[in-house]
Amino acid sequence: MKLPLRVIALLSIFTTPVFAQSTVNSSEAALPTGEEVAAHINSRDEGEAVSRKLSIEMRDRRGKTRQRETMSYRKYFDGEKRTVIFYLSPKNIKDTAFLTYDYNDPKVEDNQWLYLPALRKVRRISASDRGDYFLGTDMTYEDIKLETRVSTADFNFQTLGTCDADGKPGLQIEGTPKTKEIARELGYSKTQFCVDNEIWMIRTSQFWDIKGNLLKTITISNIAQIQGIWTQQNIDVENHKTGHSTGLTFSEVDYQSPVPDDIFTTNAIKRGL
Amino acid sequence: MPLNVGCSTLPVPQHADRKLHPANKQASTPRARFFLATISATLISLLCTLLSYSLHAAELQSSVITSALWSASSHNFKRQSYQLTLEPEFILRFENRAKLTALSRLRSISLDALSPEKVTDDAYSPYSKPLFIGNSSEFELREFYLELPSDNYYFTLGKQQVVWGKADGLKVLDIVNPQSYREFILEDFDDSRIPQWMANIETTVGEWDTQFLWIPDQSYHVLATEGGLYMPTSSLILPEPQAGVSVTVKPFKRPGRTLMDSDIGLRLSRFWKGWDLSLNYLYQYDNFALLHQRRSFTINGPHVEIEPQYRRTHVLGGSFSNAFDNWVLRGELAYFTDRYFLAEGLSDSDGITKGKEMSYVVGLDWAGLENTLISGQLFQSVALNRQSATVRDKSDSTLSLLVNHTLLNETLELRLIWLANSNIGDGLVRLRVTYEWQDNLKTWVSGDTFYGSEEGIFGQFDDNDRLTFGVELAFE
Repeated sequence: MKLPLRVIALLSIFTTPVFAQSTVNSSEAALPTGEEVAAHINSRDEGEAVSRKLSIEMRDRRGKTRQRETMSYRKYFDGEKRTVIFYLSPKNIKDTAFLTYDYNDPKVEDNQWLYLPALRKVRRISASDRGDYFLGTDMTYEDIKLETRVSTADFNFQTLGTCDADGKPGLQIEGTPKTKEIARELGYSKTQFCVDNEIWMIRTSQFWDIKGNLLKTITISNIAQIQGIWTQQNIDVENHKTGHSTGLTFSEVDYQSPVPDDIFTTNAIKRGL
Repeated sequence: MPLNVGCSTLPVPQHADRKLHPANKQASTPRARFFLATISATLISLLCTLLSYSLHAAELQSSVITSALWSASSHNFKRQSYQLTLEPEFILRFENRAKLTALSRLRSISLDALSPEKVTDDAYSPYSKPLFIGNSSEFELREFYLELPSDNYYFTLGKQQVVWGKADGLKVLDIVNPQSYREFILEDFDDSRIPQWMANIETTVGEWDTQFLWIPDQSYHVLATEGGLYMPTSSLILPEPQAGVSVTVKPFKRPGRTLMDSDIGLRLSRFWKGWDLSLNYLYQYDNFALLHQRRSFTINGPHVEIEPQYRRTHVLGGSFSNAFDNWVLRGELAYFTDRYFLAEGLSDSDGITKGKEMSYVVGLDWAGLENTLISGQLFQSVALNRQSATVRDKSDSTLSLLVNHTLLNETLELRLIWLANSNIGDGLVRLRVTYEWQDNLKTWVSGDTFYGSEEGIFGQFDDNDRLTFGVELAFE
């Protein structure tokens, strides 16, 4: 699972991006547009399917940590992407599972389900819940669904200039929600992210809340090629409002082993792994 | 009349009379029972361990949940109960993807009025009955099943829970397993549902996921009996005693043929154009016993002999859910071909009126506020084709409201559940605050307040309002 970027709006002059922000100048006039960068990000090879372990560490402002171990699968089908996450531990959340169908057609609402073992029922989730935080993490349901993609259906993107992408020059992109309603649903008024334009992966991103306050910063590290596909293995999310943070670590990433279609069903999330 | 409770629909027991419940329990001593419980738990652990070696299990997982509950009356803060529970679970995973799950529960309660033994224990089948240890403790093998996946089939064989339906707490289609009402509906359904031995076979036929159930284990709803804190008293449930009429109660008449008296279930479900749909069929014994009455005149005056018994019914139903913007629309319906209602007056010779029943629930979830779920449901039960007048109304409606809000990255949860019956005007309000200190440690405080006429399903427990403090600790 990677960092979702749905992102954002106008750059506030009062905000100081973590990454080196530079203004657009004449030498950068030839930089690709925000929409072009978004298209590159979204067309990057992610493999037809992937399975991987995901460890989630949640830390509150006092340093108290909670640890979750999950197994997740993602697969592209004709016209849609399906993602499923199974919680393996600890006991209090074990067997919880999340399933989402993300359709290519932006006019079609996504379908999402959550299996809650205490109720032993699969609960349908409104796609408008996408701005809610996912099971206590600092990622939203939308973040989880998008993984490494950005949502061109929700945001207008523009290139602001260059930035430092882990020691290399990158592209600083800003995203603005297309409507106020989208902004409200997502909980973001704008986003900025620094893209490594050699591999079209986002290195760092920031999100501002509806009131324009800096909400969270996401840092992606340990990017490596696995089975020929650039893969992020660590994501750190810091929530500036709450002081809470979430660390995601991917392991046993496998793009080659077959992922059965029937794992992306409500029956499968009820049965668990 | 279905009883809509805490988010559950209890077809109202036609009978639940304290006199119905035989007081004679098995004669083994508490020490012997405790010994047996300990032996059983040890044997299960040993069995799992042996299987892991003999069948080349890839992995053995074990965990234990311990919990403690203190309850006190909301009126005078007098202690209602102190309850300790131990739930060990073992899961064996085999190399061929098969999985064996064993979950047991040892529970001890300090207060006689909530004693595990003060229930209609005849409702349990001999294969599913908990082991009562003295007056205050019980040991139960809650679940013990083997999951066997194959190419197009998925077998789940053994003692298990099967949950149908889309309703949030209200029970319309969630009727495969019976339920214990020892604490009315205040206990979590996962804990109060009575697991049964069954074969659960799932496969895919075309676009439909198909589930077939064969349930030879005949266990039924368990109710609190005389002396029990939540023994039903509503006249909607129990026949009104008549002055000068003597009453005797015969033992429960249980179906006794393992094969012929099995329940059978079938569910077809699919995802179609954004809709989650299911069609359900169940051929089962109604989980509430009907109180068959025989009236006669003796030399001492009028006399009634009551024989609790179980009758079959076909259940046809279905469910749906879909999401629209901020809203999720859910619903389910069940049609019972053979229902037995409490007859009004003395004109009916056996005190029971046969008819049919249609129950349904429609729910709307709204998620327009961050980390908040607001859910409203309308449950309605309609009695059809009644052969004579019944104590219950033809139509009975209950509304439910659920508000759930989480804070502090879901470590703090606030929950309100309000159930209101519109026929009687009674209801139940439940408030709960849960805090998760660590992954394996949580505490909660809750208040359960009944209100309304004592004739009502909720109002009958108006004196039993309670405050509860709970602690749960898990080990892996």
